[in-house]
Amino acid sequence: MEKKEYDAVILGGGLAGLMAANYVADAGFKVAVVSKVFPTRSHSAAAEGGIAAYINGNSDPNDDPEFMSYDEVKGGDYLVDQNAAELLSDKSGEIVRILDTWGAPFNRQPDGRIALRYFGGQTYPRTRFVADKTGMALLHTLFEHASGFSNIDFYSEYYVLDIVKDGNNVNGLVAMEMKNMDPIYLKSRALLIASGGLGMVYKHSTNSYISTGDGYGIALRSGVPLKDPEFVQFHPTCLYPSDILISEAARAEGAILKNNKNERFMAKYAPHKFDLAPRDIVSRSMTMEMMEGRGFEGGYLSLDLTHLGREYIMERLTLAYDAAKTFAGVDAAEEMIPVRPAQHYFMGGIDVDITGTNSDLNGLFAAGEAACVSVHGANRLGSNSLLETLVYGRETGKTMVDFLKKHKNVESSDGTEEIANNAYLYIKKETGEHFGTLLDELKETMWNNVGIFRDENKLGDAVKGLQNLRERAKNMYVTDKTTNYNTEVFNAFETRNMIDVSLAIATAALNRTETRGAHFRNDYPVRNDDNWMKHTLAYLKPDNTIEIKYKSVIVTKWKPEPRVY
Amino acid sequence: MKVAYYPGCASHGIAKDVDIATQLIAKDLDLELMEVDDWNCCGGGFMDDRNEEIHTSLNLRNLNKVKEMGYDKMATPCSVCLNSHRIAVDKYENDSDLKENVDKRLEKANIEYEGGVDSEHFIWVLIQDVGIENIQKHVKKPLKDIKIGTYYGCQLLRPSNVMGFESAHDPHSVMDLVAATGATPISFPLKASCCGFPLMGSNPPVGLKMANNILSDARNNGADMMVHPCSLCHLQLDVTQLKIKDHFKQDWTLPTLYITQLIGLAFGHSPEELGIGKITAKYLRERGFA
Amino acid sequence: MVEEKEITVNIKKYDENNGEQWRTYRVNANRYTQMTEVLRWIKYEQDPALSYRASCHMAVCGSCAMKINGEPRLACKTMAFNAINDKNEVNLEAMDYYKEVRDLIPDIDTFYDRMYKVEPRLYADQTVISGENEERMTPSEQKEVWKFEECIWCGLCVSACPSVKEDEKFLGPAAHAKGYRFIADGRDTKKAERIGILMDSAWRCTSCYMCYEVCPQDVQPVIAIKKTKAYVDEYPGTTEVITMARKHDDTISESIAESGKIKESKLYLKTFGYVAAMKDMMYMMKQGKIKYAMSKDTDVKNIDEIKKIMGDKK
Repeated sequence: MEKKEYDAVILGGGLAGLMAANYVADAGFKVAVVSKVFPTRSHSAAAEGGIAAYINGNSDPNDDPEFMSYDEVKGGDYLVDQNAAELLSDKSGEIVRILDTWGAPFNRQPDGRIALRYFGGQTYPRTRFVADKTGMALLHTLFEHASGFSNIDFYSEYYVLDIVKDGNNVNGLVAMEMKNMDPIYLKSRALLIASGGLGMVYKHSTNSYISTGDGYGIALRSGVPLKDPEFVQFHPTCLYPSDILISEAARAEGAILKNNKNERFMAKYAPHKFDLAPRDIVSRSMTMEMMEGRGFEGGYLSLDLTHLGREYIMERLTLAYDAAKTFAGVDAAEEMIPVRPAQHYFMGGIDVDITGTNSDLNGLFAAGEAACVSVHGANRLGSNSLLETLVYGRETGKTMVDFLKKHKNVESSDGTEEIANNAYLYIKKETGEHFGTLLDELKETMWNNVGIFRDENKLGDAVKGLQNLRERAKNMYVTDKTTNYNTEVFNAFETRNMIDVSLAIATAALNRTETRGAHFRNDYPVRNDDNWMKHTLAYLKPDNTIEIKYKSVIVTKWKPEPRVY
Repeated sequence: MKVAYYPGCASHGIAKDVDIATQLIAKDLDLELMEVDDWNCCGGGFMDDRNEEIHTSLNLRNLNKVKEMGYDKMATPCSVCLNSHRIAVDKYENDSDLKENVDKRLEKANIEYEGGVDSEHFIWVLIQDVGIENIQKHVKKPLKDIKIGTYYGCQLLRPSNVMGFESAHDPHSVMDLVAATGATPISFPLKASCCGFPLMGSNPPVGLKMANNILSDARNNGADMMVHPCSLCHLQLDVTQLKIKDHFKQDWTLPTLYITQLIGLAFGHSPEELGIGKITAKYLRERGFA
Repeated sequence: MVEEKEITVNIKKYDENNGEQWRTYRVNANRYTQMTEVLRWIKYEQDPALSYRASCHMAVCGSCAMKINGEPRLACKTMAFNAINDKNEVNLEAMDYYKEVRDLIPDIDTFYDRMYKVEPRLYADQTVISGENEERMTPSEQKEVWKFEECIWCGLCVSACPSVKEDEKFLGPAAHAKGYRFIADGRDTKKAERIGILMDSAWRCTSCYMCYEVCPQDVQPVIAIKKTKAYVDEYPGTTEVITMARKHDDTISESIAESGKIKESKLYLKTFGYVAAMKDMMYMMKQGKIKYAMSKDTDVKNIDEIKKIMGDKK
């Protein structure tokens, strides 16, 4: 097997991975960025609305980073590590300034300073944006910056199979070059998992087709736990039926949700914030409306922009307008947009602290949606995912630099052949179960039983079903035996990861007998701080079970109070 | 019917036969071509390389002239002139910064752009206002048993959101007109590819290669001759076709015509009346079409 | 419920062992069905071996570029009902120009190489990087930068460009849009260098608007190229291509400024020189067109208007 040696290997070429890569490379270390897609195809590109930032001297005069942290803590329903939230807010202005010097084309105020607008869950407006394509603009900025480093090698269209360990230390990973299906061992003493989210485990998701939870699966199989996997965010306004996200920006700029009686129903559920209440509240309110018969046939509600005027819509909401026009044939200046909630974000992730360090495996780091730093707690606010990828991508990059200075690569390369051989089993097998069958069952189970409204029966069934799927997955096979860009094989690898992470989600959701943030239990409809103001740690066991441990929430300033909007 | 007519520099110069044939068939069809008063060059597809504002301003000046003449439509036989005017209006209407500067330039010349004039290709007028059936009625000598490669080139079709007449990938206007003459239209893969003319002022070897690709492609797909819709394609594919032949050491030529010349033949005019070039005229005679 | 219709999808498959072969599939689609969904259904339900790229399904990642009925497009931005012909059929192929790898997946490394050639990243002033100085940008400057920064690196424009096919020195549309985006960005410190990288290549563009047509993001690379060409006067260097372009375009500008029109004989002489111009005259003579070359059109009467529009220079 081909072997290449690096100081650090970064799994994922999205915002978090690239941000860290820039900092590790800037310190002179040799970095490999490995991704199953070319970096600009990463899901970060899909982020629309913007990035929340308090910029000293260019924010609302009444705003303060502390208010921003408070919004995050409250928005996250007190499952937020408050030191993480404070760091996120404190560094937000600096991050935007750095991106500006790297070329990010932020929208401007007439005096040439970076513009800002209001977003859901914010006390003051603080979202910075590039039209309605902020994620795409920042992803390109970061990738272009990274492409200037001669000590960063990009392994684009390489599929990562598993982590290589030397005892309890990271020793790189084994990947497969998709073009010719050859395995490669990328050896390094530091590994950053920044592989993004897992939307594809749900039947309805706004995520890219590539968001299959690969990093979570790989981590779980290496004995690394996921923190708070039961917290899955459902975005309220997804275009029916393609589930393309209609940015929160639409509501921030004045769009209104309506039911089939033409009522602005959010007035009932969030009498103060209305349509701009946090995503979990809006998603549940919408689901309630539809369950009580006030939705439209086929299962959707309306997002009304018509009162905003064509010119304003074209100027400020181009992506929302274009999406409705291109993908639903709706002229949003004249008709209401059909929307429904769909899976959007995974608050859980690989357990790391505010330095991006995982404490289970020496040399393992995680950042972005793949990680759980606990800044989002039980529910993420809009404009905070981009911010998290950048702030914690940078913090983690700096931590990795410190780590690399103290440690050397080891000699051994045990276990690499075994990883590659296991991967080839799917191709060698002539019969068994096809991944497509397993995937269909998985998506149905997750959507119906581990979705917006949960209860013990549904979750219990889901856990059993997923355990069964995991067993059957050992017998997966592929029909395509060719050795160039065999996507069927990669789909099988993805299916394996999706089943593993889904099992963690369902088990943790069954275990948490309270309602908090995005985790809503019909049978336990209230938050229970006495028993449950703690993080879940979910470990995958070889017998297809998940072992649950706990970790306390870090509280610095804010004591829990009822979350009312 | 009267229509404002913008011949463009080329069809009043080396591509004069484009103008001759167009005027001739317009007369046959009772279409009165009213030449735009004191028109100026559209920039020939080059002026916007140097200065977008000047380019836009020059084109808007012409459209204002048409307005003053009392028309709301300007027809041109040249795809580059067409593209130039339409792009100018599109930029003016959609780029507020450019508009501001263009207005300043026009103001210096005491011109206030009024808008309301649509630039159209002469063949759009033939199809939409004259009508294919009407054209067929004027055919005196149907061009039976001849296969005509139907070439569109670039500027007539693209960008389609600005040109707005037909699909840029699956156009049919030239084909429809060729069919009306009784000839057999031949589609070929490079029908909407560039003839290379714009490169003749900076990178002629590649410009000639593109022209040769077009001619070869039409020929390889069975065309006996080829028609095109543009004064500048005419320079590239007809007027200097012998240059291409020499350059690529080819032992063939592909007789090429401007679209109104082909229609003129079907209407019974001689190659000489239509200003048709020697290679093409000779071929027409050999085939018994003249 | 939404009405469904069976459509026929013909896909040109390719792999090293079997070469190219067309395969036909039938799926039920409705008015909301994107072509990426059609592909996914085919893969899940009929042909798991079918290979294609797709990621965001909302036209911001640039993965699913392919030919749909011969037209270069993003599959996600193409609705099945808009793609089918009157027989409810649609044909899918990999993009032109790039090397075939597998089914609808071409190897577009050559596209990325073109992008890297224009040094696609901002080089800010050191005092701004250190935080001593703050850089500001007007909203209209941001608009200009963003217009050309919206490129998603899908590769469609390069696959469709005739100059790319014929001229290896032409950087291609996307790279030019990217390069110009930094020229337009006042925060960048490498403007002169960038103009140097782009200028010769810019004059190798044939202005055919193919890139403008096929760009799914409405980036209009050809306009970026034209805006780059406009810097030719302040660019100190030259190449054979630039030298000819300068002569040619200067003559056009002069001619329009003098008479309001382009005088072709003068243009030939000044651009190509006496010998080459005479040679072209010979070709015209053989075609019987020399009489037209000698004809003289009337000048614009109100030439003052033209002079005022054009200003003192150019």
